[in-house]
Amino acid sequence: MRLDVFSRFCKPFEFRQYSVSFFAAGLLALLVLIVGVPVLMVVLMSLRTGFPGEAGPLTLQNFIEVYADAATYEILVNTLLFALGSVGVALLFAVPLSWLLVRTDIPLKKTFYVLLTVGILIPVFLRTIAWILLLSPRIGLLNKWLVEIFNLAGPPLSLYNIPGMAFIQGVSFVPGAFFMLSAAYRSMDPSLEEAAYTSGVGKFTTFLNINIPITLPAIAAVMVYLFMTGIAVFEVPAIIGLPARILVLSALIYTATSPPTGLPEYGIAGAYGGVMLLAGLALAYFYVRLVKQGKKFTVITGRGYRPREIALRRWKWPAIAFVLLYLSIEVFIPFLILLWTSFVPYLQLPSAAALKTMTLRNYLTIPDYAGTRPFINTFILMLGVPTLAMILSVLVSWVVVRTQVRFRGTLDTVAFLPHAIPGILVAVGLAYLSLAYRDYFPLYGTVLIIMLAHVINWVAYGTRTSNSVMIQVHRELEEAGKVAGASTPRVLWKIVLPLIAAGVLNSWIWIGMLSYREVTMALTLYTRNNAVISTVVWQFWSSGWIPQVSALGVVLIVFALIVVGSVRVALARIGEIGSGT
Amino acid sequence: MRRINRADVGLLTLVLALSWSGFVEATPLDKLIGEAKKEGTVNFYGPATLTPQGAGSLEAAFNKKYGLNTKLTFHPSLNMTRDVGKFVGMAATGVGPEWDTMVVTDAHYATLWLRKLVDPYDYKSAGVDPQVIHYDNGSISFANQIVLPAYNKKTMPANDVPTKWEDLLDPKWKGGKLGVSTATHHFARLAVGAWGEEKTTQFVKNIASQEPVLGRLAELYNRLLLGEISIAVTLTDSNINDAKKTGAPIVFADTIQPVIAPAYQIGVLKAAQHPSTGHLMAIFLTSKEAQDIWEKYNGQTSAFVPGTTAYKFLKGKQALFMDQKQAKDVDRLARQYGKILGFNR
Repeated sequence: MRLDVFSRFCKPFEFRQYSVSFFAAGLLALLVLIVGVPVLMVVLMSLRTGFPGEAGPLTLQNFIEVYADAATYEILVNTLLFALGSVGVALLFAVPLSWLLVRTDIPLKKTFYVLLTVGILIPVFLRTIAWILLLSPRIGLLNKWLVEIFNLAGPPLSLYNIPGMAFIQGVSFVPGAFFMLSAAYRSMDPSLEEAAYTSGVGKFTTFLNINIPITLPAIAAVMVYLFMTGIAVFEVPAIIGLPARILVLSALIYTATSPPTGLPEYGIAGAYGGVMLLAGLALAYFYVRLVKQGKKFTVITGRGYRPREIALRRWKWPAIAFVLLYLSIEVFIPFLILLWTSFVPYLQLPSAAALKTMTLRNYLTIPDYAGTRPFINTFILMLGVPTLAMILSVLVSWVVVRTQVRFRGTLDTVAFLPHAIPGILVAVGLAYLSLAYRDYFPLYGTVLIIMLAHVINWVAYGTRTSNSVMIQVHRELEEAGKVAGASTPRVLWKIVLPLIAAGVLNSWIWIGMLSYREVTMALTLYTRNNAVISTVVWQFWSSGWIPQVSALGVVLIVFALIVVGSVRVALARIGEIGSGT
Repeated sequence: MRRINRADVGLLTLVLALSWSGFVEATPLDKLIGEAKKEGTVNFYGPATLTPQGAGSLEAAFNKKYGLNTKLTFHPSLNMTRDVGKFVGMAATGVGPEWDTMVVTDAHYATLWLRKLVDPYDYKSAGVDPQVIHYDNGSISFANQIVLPAYNKKTMPANDVPTKWEDLLDPKWKGGKLGVSTATHHFARLAVGAWGEEKTTQFVKNIASQEPVLGRLAELYNRLLLGEISIAVTLTDSNINDAKKTGAPIVFADTIQPVIAPAYQIGVLKAAQHPSTGHLMAIFLTSKEAQDIWEKYNGQTSAFVPGTTAYKFLKGKQALFMDQKQAKDVDRLARQYGKILGFNR
């Protein structure tokens, strides 16, 4: 009798456990498929010569050609220094910015948030032009001023070297790093910090000895992400590195797939990509180990709480100055340059003569050059990519954080892997797949293939943020729902999702913006039917139409500000509702 | 004089009746027009500088000339090399081309021709000048670029303007004052043309030792505008035409010879969906109407059509045109020069 009651009680539980495990296995299979197949394609590509779809034996010829050349190792060192430098510069700004804007009472927070968003929207290569105008040894305004003021023999600064490249790239990474880090700082348990203050430890020392160490897993994730992005980006290496003959891996992959003459060498690109892939996997391994270490002294507890804001008092003005310094570098100066060039008929330095030539022509001719398709496609991406990425992320996070499925750690690791795979490789792999196996994967030339590449690329970001948001929601409400007889999907939909809505929407906006400005993958997968705004901007830039691209940039920034501002207002309301419940 | 008899009258009547009813063989051009009428559309790939407006003008003029109602869908080029590579890759997997016709440079057509990916047509039979027919009837050269060193006339003193290619090797241009573009096939054309391989290779090595700024053509144009570099070792007339339109002070050092003259060519791709309209479009681009439109939007004209801007500019000058026999060498040398200059490994 007792056994009967026990089995009757346990059956639904077992069934639920099995169905959850089954669901988690399905998720894992899906992730392995969408992450693994492009990677497999890159490996296959590197082992073949010729074109996608051309039959041929597997060969190591591409690897021999690439790695028997001594120049490759010099390029690897350049790549490493550039990526590390970029990460260093980004963290130098992003960590203090996250702490200041999330944990302190610094004034004008909302304005600073919006301005950081503007920074994301300015294309990197336009920002690079601003830096050329400031720091070029021949024409840089800053150099000219320094020479005049200090009576120097020659220009003291140059951006045509690895530190210069790393500085420009690193500064452009800051908004991304900020949004990733701010989630960690927001969910940080303040008890250790408060204990430090109670013990009379200063704010700066507390920041160095408490805040940074306890957010180290988050900082590590950001470092891995930025490092892999640093290896993959090619705008700054192309504009600043190439003129000075500083080659990096991404530039070589780009040249291999888009040579000035002849035909693309996909196999060579794959062989270069092999190093990127190995570096990414090694970093992913260290990251996972670091996170495991971090869990030994977990600082993010299950209880919801709101860390109190730290009063800056006399440090308020230096803090504002720091934020303004960063915003000047990232937003104000580039936007002013963008605005200036959008009104002149050709690229020129500001002068009285140039003022007389100002015109609205660059704005009026935008429709002639761009058409409507790129705008429609971009809109589809901005809606589809964050939606799909966040659905997948929330489901993965729910399994990882909320269930006891045995392989949840594996699921989390696989979801993190795209963080370690450079976007350019994902795109090249998908392009190869869609060309070579078009019958099974008929997405070539559609906006869906770009959407898939973007979802793969940002699912890691989505799962990191949804993990940290979900971990803050206590189980009591879910358990109450289950006791009341609600099914697991209903609990997820009706209880969990509303509680994490603000955090999820924040990530949704951020992924949408990343998708909007992403150029490397979109360009690799570009055809006439799937042109997006970022490829149009690149096309303008490649054609030398800087005034036209500047006008387009200004219009897009104003438009995006309106959209992002409206969504943020809506988000704030949801947040208020969420906190009220 | 023989008198016209009944039989003659009968024969004449029969001929007139047959030709009226279409039994007399039409000219190749008429045939193409007839087939184009059935196809009704053409997917046209070309430089983005043509713009949708320029493509619209081409469509209108094309329809007017041949009495058609063809819809021209314009596919602006993002990167000709990449798009040619993409088409080659797609063809390898059995996928048909996205475009019926492609306007790309002669060097790009070499790639397509070597892989037998162009659909030949007897353009001569349709009245096209044999001089402009290339790659075994695979393409028509209908416009020529002009490639020369260029400078900013606002900042360059008159006596510093180079008058021959060798002037670029003057030590005063050392240390980032010259700009060299990724279009290293410009030098390769000198090698297979007037100078020979040895002289050109040495020239390229000497240019590399001047430590030039490297970049794509459009970038060099903008660096010239800003004054970051003094001379672009090669620039195309697309950039110079942009400068003319906007009032920018960039001009060619136009006394330099030989003048490099890469060609824009058009042909029909293998397995194109609308081949007849494509061939007709190729023929049309050699006409006066099309030349005017192309010049208005892209700035180039054919060096082989008397009276055009390119014809006048190159008259009496030594100009380098590439032919299909040189295609492989141009490709090989362009890569070699890319390495010497530091663009790749």
